[in-house]
Amino acid sequence: MEMQKFEEKLIQMTKPDVPHLKHEDMLANAITKAKDKSIVSWWWLSIPLYIVAALSMKTIFMPRTTLLSNLHELTSNERYASVIFFFVLPILLIIINVKSLRNIYFLSGNPQMITFLKGTWYHILILILSALILIIYSL
Amino acid sequence: MNLPWFRRSGIFYIPTSIFGWSIFATGLVYAVYVFMDIDSRSHSVSDTLINFVFDLLIITAVYSLIAFLTCRKFKN
Repeated sequence: MEMQKFEEKLIQMTKPDVPHLKHEDMLANAITKAKDKSIVSWWWLSIPLYIVAALSMKTIFMPRTTLLSNLHELTSNERYASVIFFFVLPILLIIINVKSLRNIYFLSGNPQMITFLKGTWYHILILILSALILIIYSL
Repeated sequence: MNLPWFRRSGIFYIPTSIFGWSIFATGLVYAVYVFMDIDSRSHSVSDTLINFVFDLLIITAVYSLIAFLTCRKFKN
């Protein structure tokens, strides 16, 4: 008798209804955090980019100077500031953005590359520009 | 001190509490002070603007970093 009741209960039992997956929350949270981080990254990246733009303008208006010679002049005059803005900052931004991208990629569960690139193009642009600043500084 | 102090709107952070507004006001006052200081030493309008934009970017970057760190409620 008890066995029969148990079987009836088993039949009545259904899978637990989970309308909201925690994984979705984690992904949404990761995307929001990454977006916030990318905006802060853009503001910080704008400082070395502005310096490069200003030095490029100087190169155009002052004959017999190059971007690199102007950058070397700046580096010798402002040693610590140039190390912070042209070496430490790009490396930090690369680490932060790679970490965010990695997080989104794994939480998305191997998404299609084009979809992934469309959603995270601003992170990739930050990575490219940071690498560019590092390259300019190392020349 | 209840978080959040700021909310993000596009690429800007807008203060939502008294602490947020005080940080914003401090940044604004400092930017005005920097502008007046640069203007007193520079020789032309372009000289003022070129040097001021650099300082303004640093102020905005620091402000955005503070706002980023205080813009969300931390869950336990």
